[in-house]
Amino acid sequence: MSKGKQYPDNSEIFARKAQGRRDRARQANFAEKLDAVDALRARVAPIIRARESRKRDRREGKANQS
Amino acid sequence: MTLRKTIEVVTKLAERRVIGSYAIAGAVAALNYIEPMLTEDLDILISIDGFEKRSSGLLLLAPIEKALADMGYTERTNVGYNVEDWPVQFLPVSSALDEEALADAIDLDISQSGETPLKARCLRAEHVVAIALKVGRLKDLARIQAFLEQDAVELALLKAVLEKHNLTGTWKEFCIKAVIKNPLADTK
Repeated sequence: MSKGKQYPDNSEIFARKAQGRRDRARQANFAEKLDAVDALRARVAPIIRARESRKRDRREGKANQS
Repeated sequence: MTLRKTIEVVTKLAERRVIGSYAIAGAVAALNYIEPMLTEDLDILISIDGFEKRSSGLLLLAPIEKALADMGYTERTNVGYNVEDWPVQFLPVSSALDEEALADAIDLDISQSGETPLKARCLRAEHVVAIALKVGRLKDLARIQAFLEQDAVELALLKAVLEKHNLTGTWKEFCIKAVIKNPLADTK
């Protein structure tokens, strides 16, 4: 890290993100948020399945080694 | 297989008086107040009335298991009963805080627009936060921070609940951990 180097101030970006979270919290009602969670779950399902598969492979690999 | 259908099954258990008072708790209850986030399961806080209690203090939830089986939900994992592909954990009231939270729970409409309204009970924000504080896992503390950041809990109500249930010290510890100025310090 060079001495005296100027870095940008990101506080405004973080403030905007926080405002976005506040807006999302208020814009939807509970029923709409339930739908959002289902959609989110469906989107991450392949990632979770892949993670579980890697875990299983690692476990089986270890079992085969011992 | 949606979270709404899962909650609908819980409302049916209440209608059939398999469970007495109940309320959606945990991450799904938090959804009513903060932005949607991913969760693994549905926590349902239930009153202990009507359940057999062993001398060890263990409460037998066999009536719930039987009713769910009658409705076709027989799978159970370590996370809970599998209902419409969502694990559901029934948590019997285990403290005065839980008891108050359950008594003060609110009715929410979970129906889709155009459908017949369907009410489900849900914990109030201040109780979701107080219970998360008491449980105290990292994800619970992160949830509290989300409530604060999104102005999703009335600070005066939260302060009253924390004081009533002797959680003020735990709250101060949370503020230190979260590196935030105690937002309740100036709250009356």
